[in-house]
Amino acid sequence: MSSFRKDDAGKIHILFTSQESHVLINLVEQLIELLGGESVLQSHSSEVWGHDDDPLLRLLGVTGSDAPPDDPVLRRLLPNAYADEQSAGEFRRYTEDSLRQKKRAHAMAIYEALIPQDEEWSADKPLDRGSIEVSLEQTEIMVWLGGLNDLRLALAVRLGIGENAPNIKEEHQKYELMKESDPMKAVYAVYSWLGWLQQSLLDQIL
Amino acid sequence: MALGTVTESESDVDIRPDRPWVCVVWDDPVNLMTYVTHVFMVIFGYSKEKANELMLKVHNEGRATVASGTREEMERDVQRLHEYGLWATVQRVDEF
Repeated sequence: MSSFRKDDAGKIHILFTSQESHVLINLVEQLIELLGGESVLQSHSSEVWGHDDDPLLRLLGVTGSDAPPDDPVLRRLLPNAYADEQSAGEFRRYTEDSLRQKKRAHAMAIYEALIPQDEEWSADKPLDRGSIEVSLEQTEIMVWLGGLNDLRLALAVRLGIGENAPNIKEEHQKYELMKESDPMKAVYAVYSWLGWLQQSLLDQIL
Repeated sequence: MALGTVTESESDVDIRPDRPWVCVVWDDPVNLMTYVTHVFMVIFGYSKEKANELMLKVHNEGRATVASGTREEMERDVQRLHEYGLWATVQRVDEF
């Protein structure tokens, strides 16, 4: 498995295998779709770092919904900021859109780092691009940490990890003992890998 | 523990009459411990020691007050914590 490393100049790099980058690209695409973004295959660039805030979009954000999202993954990624429903709803109406945009920007940054700018990536294309090297600027570290964390949170909700907090070890054991043929076992393997990857980045900076 | 049921007092964060709102972070078994520490350092500018102490408090006690200030300041902090996937809420200091 590839891990983040620091070079002599203090810069952080990672060399993803083509399979690893393929998995990450698929996950961030799903995350961006879930967060309500346009298809990443159609447009990106200008929104990636959130520099190009559209005043109209911001205006629309103000008139956003005050109800928590129906999807349990979105509820975890966009949680209530207050214990009482009324204050939580009011806060959400003014802020949820900007939170979605920030999370999309994190996911988009990972996506763009793995896709050469001059190439339209497609899931149907054969995996013949070999390994992908990614170098992180100082400002990109938190973006990657946040994006990887959102992917872990999303998969954890789908896996039901953390639902029964005092028994977290049992929840993990359930997946470790699961048969290889069970599709959820593969999801758990990806979840574990993302944790390992995120930790390898943290090990470089702490 | 359900939100809003906290009763005991907090002693490690500056809580004065002019700082009547607090930002509370709740334990989440998914977020890596070193990640939570790092987020506290980046968002609040806390030292590694202080950030680590707060992270352990969240982990061991289920929640910790990580900042206090005006309502607007706490809402901004909570929004940033949500941006990085931590589970945080704003509440009045007298809700403790």
